[in-house]
Amino acid sequence: MIRLSNVSWRRERKANAPVLSNLSFSVPQGGFRWLLGPSGAGKTSLLSLLHVENLPSDGTLCLLDKDVTAQTPRSVLVRLRQRIGMVHQNFRLMPGLSVADNVALPLRLQYRPEDEITDEVQAILKWVGLGDRLDARASRLSGGEQQRTAIARAIVHRPGLILADEPTNALEEPQAHKLLDMFSELSSMGTTVIVATHNEALVRRLPRPALVLERGRLVQDGT
Amino acid sequence: MALPFSGRKDGLSLSEALPDRSLFILVAMMSFLAALTLTGATGARTLSSRWAGGAAQLLTIQVSDPDQPLAGTAKAEKNAQKSRADAVLADLATLPVGTQVHRLTQEELARLLTPWLGDAGKTALPLPAVIEVRLAEGQEAPTDLEKTLDTHVPGTVVEHNAEWSTRLRALAQSLLACAALALVTVGGIATMITALATKAGLSTRRDIIEILHGLGATDSYIAGRFAGRTGGLALGGGLLGTLLAMAPLLLLFRMAAPFSASTLQAATPAMPDWRTLPDLLPGDMLTGLAALPFVAAFIGWATTQVMVRIWLRRMP
Repeated sequence: MIRLSNVSWRRERKANAPVLSNLSFSVPQGGFRWLLGPSGAGKTSLLSLLHVENLPSDGTLCLLDKDVTAQTPRSVLVRLRQRIGMVHQNFRLMPGLSVADNVALPLRLQYRPEDEITDEVQAILKWVGLGDRLDARASRLSGGEQQRTAIARAIVHRPGLILADEPTNALEEPQAHKLLDMFSELSSMGTTVIVATHNEALVRRLPRPALVLERGRLVQDGT
Repeated sequence: MALPFSGRKDGLSLSEALPDRSLFILVAMMSFLAALTLTGATGARTLSSRWAGGAAQLLTIQVSDPDQPLAGTAKAEKNAQKSRADAVLADLATLPVGTQVHRLTQEELARLLTPWLGDAGKTALPLPAVIEVRLAEGQEAPTDLEKTLDTHVPGTVVEHNAEWSTRLRALAQSLLACAALALVTVGGIATMITALATKAGLSTRRDIIEILHGLGATDSYIAGRFAGRTGGLALGGGLLGTLLAMAPLLLLFRMAAPFSASTLQAATPAMPDWRTLPDLLPGDMLTGLAALPFVAAFIGWATTQVMVRIWLRRMP
């Protein structure tokens, strides 16, 4: 469950113009939302807020039944981040680590048993089509492979919320469709999914409610 | 089937991020200085307590022409058969119970003077009798002792060690304070070095830390990874510095050993044998030296923990 009520966010505390202004919307648990809008509308900023990389300057934000404010204890924010899977536009992989190690990271940070990690990582990488690239360094992967690794890392720990920023940019069409089917399946299994994209064809292929941003304001709230 | 995990579990690669070699060498140098200072402090404390205790209770009495018969006074008439030294010993026998009086033998006197006169047993110089008086704990010498002895045996000299002991104890305590200040300074420098190294490592790994933070790494995890590395390097540096300091310390201790005798008859100009030297080293000094690498490790670990946690506060 995601609920925003009059949420604004400024890049700096004293900045006058907020990057995001008075956003109010909610997404039920297991809901799927497209996040649309032109470049610079604030899609990535909103995803950063939902990923608890930034905290709201004003308003109230509730994520996975936890209120997120400047007063929320750091330990609560950390546990919240562990329940969110994020696919960044620039992938944010560890260049020095193998594909398997990159994907294993969220599980290792939760101190899961090593044999469980092995099984989960192996299964997810096979699923995204990287079963034969387990030991490849992330820095030596193609753009598409890096994107699939980032997606695998975002979902390997079965998060309650998946956020994806242009996840199909570097993917071939069949892979993009496959990813979309997977997001849809995860949503039907109870995971909330929010996908920011410019790809209209993709949106047409999977008709779901859309949050539309323009200049930091919500012009369509997905209802 | 095991996956081909690279072994570098989280991408921080701290061996590349932190200035390992510089930190190791600088901590080794700091530990070397701390070991020397610690030994100096131990020596000053030992001397201080010795001067505060044993030496202050000690009187040294010199009797010139010790074997000449006593003459010139009525009492001297009565004791005409006594030598001057025996007369002084007889007077000292009236001191309170518990007082130890010992006249140094010719061999003890010769050994004491060897560093200055060579083979003192063969010297043509007339040597005085030296009598060592050790007062019981809490006892003080009679105020008129010197006058009494000089009246009975003219030319007798009484040296009150207590006067010197007060001054020397003050000196030793000043040295002790200086050593403590030096140790605090060394610890402060080690803290600053570790802080700078940690800051450099954090700057180098900023992107990686942000990724880990986003994936749900706790502050404890990130701070623990950095602190484990700097703590380990400080432990190694501390160990090396302390071991390197042992060579000059043993040499100095061997040279200082002859001056540490608590009584004149125990004093010897000979330096102890290398093999017996470890047995003579004070236990508290050895404990301090053994603890030094662990103190260095703790300083490294704690400084890094604090630095990293403060740095992470800028992230939500």
